[in-house]
Amino acid sequence: MNFRPIFRIAALALAMFALTPTTASAHKLRERGVAVTIADSPLTVTPARDWNRLDGHIGKHVESWTLDGGQLNDVTFYAGIEPGKPLLRERSKKREPLPKFSAATLLVELPELLETTYRSYKQIADFRVVNVQPARFLGQDGVLFTYEYVDQDELTRQGEANAAIIGGRLYMVSFDAPRLHYFARGIEDFRRLVETARLP
Amino acid sequence: MIGRLRLAASALGLALALVPSAHAEPALPPPYAGAYQPQGVDEQGLWRQMDEEERRFAESDMVIRDEALNTYVRKVLCDTVGQDRCGATRVYIVRVPWFNASMSPNGLMQVYSGLLLRVHSEAELGAVLGHEFGHFEARHSLEELKARRSGTDVLSWALVLANLAPSYDMVRAYRDLQLTIIGNFYRFNRDQEREADGLGIRYLNSSMLRPQAAAQVWERLMAEFAADARAKGLKKPRFDRIPFYSTHPPEAERAATLALLARPDAAQRDDGATRYRAALAPWIPQLLDDQIKLNDFGASEFLIQSLAEGGWTAPLWHARGELHRMRGAPRDLANAATFYGEAVALDPNHAEAHRGLGLSLLKTGQPGPGQQALRRYLTLKPDAPDAKLIGMMIPQEVPAP
Repeated sequence: MNFRPIFRIAALALAMFALTPTTASAHKLRERGVAVTIADSPLTVTPARDWNRLDGHIGKHVESWTLDGGQLNDVTFYAGIEPGKPLLRERSKKREPLPKFSAATLLVELPELLETTYRSYKQIADFRVVNVQPARFLGQDGVLFTYEYVDQDELTRQGEANAAIIGGRLYMVSFDAPRLHYFARGIEDFRRLVETARLP
Repeated sequence: MIGRLRLAASALGLALALVPSAHAEPALPPPYAGAYQPQGVDEQGLWRQMDEEERRFAESDMVIRDEALNTYVRKVLCDTVGQDRCGATRVYIVRVPWFNASMSPNGLMQVYSGLLLRVHSEAELGAVLGHEFGHFEARHSLEELKARRSGTDVLSWALVLANLAPSYDMVRAYRDLQLTIIGNFYRFNRDQEREADGLGIRYLNSSMLRPQAAAQVWERLMAEFAADARAKGLKKPRFDRIPFYSTHPPEAERAATLALLARPDAAQRDDGATRYRAALAPWIPQLLDDQIKLNDFGASEFLIQSLAEGGWTAPLWHARGELHRMRGAPRDLANAATFYGEAVALDPNHAEAHRGLGLSLLKTGQPGPGQQALRRYLTLKPDAPDAKLIGMMIPQEVPAP
């Protein structure tokens, strides 16, 4: 009738796991002015202010940063997704496959790739790409796009992302925050962070 | 074999229990008791909790507030259960791409947008809404509340544990958990489902709609799951993982029961398919879009095909093109180009179909016609969100012939 029972079991298991002290040290501070690599890839950024790196293994080349917590402002780096791979780790390759980035994917299709990934990963229906512009990213021709969606927690979030395909791999950084207050508050910090992104 | 016998026996037993002599009297709903007020602390508490939830829910960003659509869905409910009963409900359409509907004990009915895409007539929609109304009228949630009170204990423990957790995600997990357990109050057992099925079909029997449509809903849904499982290479569909289905009686039993209980002399009634198609027409493109972007190829292809039984339209061809282009294998792109071509043949002003056609042609090595289609897209929709980027994919000046 309602939500999948697997959620309940998973949440309970998570809650149990939370009791163990190891999780407390999972997140890492990303200090101002110190260049760091993203998800063991050649991509580096030099944050202009302190950020927190969230510890959640949501994908092989993916890393999430936040200021106040993932629900309030979330920066996700997709650092070199290979052709044939999805953006995020699939919960079940067979039953819940995610859309794949491919060698034939065009720049103009990247917003759609993020959209379909969000929709199938979060099982949501309300997602709208607001604007798509050509823009330089990592010194290459890329795409800058904005979007808006109603998340699973029934809150409307806004997002902005920069993406480019370099050497056949997809590089993308996205910023997601609630439309109310948090998006406007964090977007400039995000843009400053994106400006410092470099590939060797 | 034994399982099948038992199935048949239980279906028959239910039919006999509900209709003393199946041939003599058609099954009709019991007389309506009027506006019901909760009795006793359990029920009053449950209603209060649901009233509070409804206040929050009415403000939710997931609710589709379009007046025409809401009026129409409400009308189908009222046509099914009757004007007097329908007064006890508030209908909320939520934009969630699954087959589901639910009704809270205080009369809040949720209709998922995915349900609207999957039923084909007023009678079919009425069958599902009537079933949910049956749970409400029989007050199943109260029985379940009492039976499952231990669920709340689980919730309390989870809250304690969640508070110890350092991450925000944990709070989110707790909230999901809360929804799941509140959802549990509406997870009914099979006997309750059978009773609701019985009530649902009685409403239809006494309405102007064709009760035989109820069995069609389940048959088509089973076919969709089978198609989905086939596309994913699974041995058999997992009905228990689908929200609406997890607690419902086996579909075969259900379809058999519903067919048995449907009033035979009502088989010639109108099922309202034409009216339904007309009312939903403005919504079909969005509902299809919500479905195909779930990356669920088998189910989406099945849904498009089954909608196309009533005739192919430009939005259907376009959706099929999108579905194939997004999967993106070379053969898919060739198919996609054909489907988009069908869409623009039916509706030359379908801007999105020109876009899809252009991209598919470009990707299959046909830049000339591809750019022409993209140019047409920009002419039709100069203020498209991606107009600038698409514009860069077209040479600025058309070479002279």
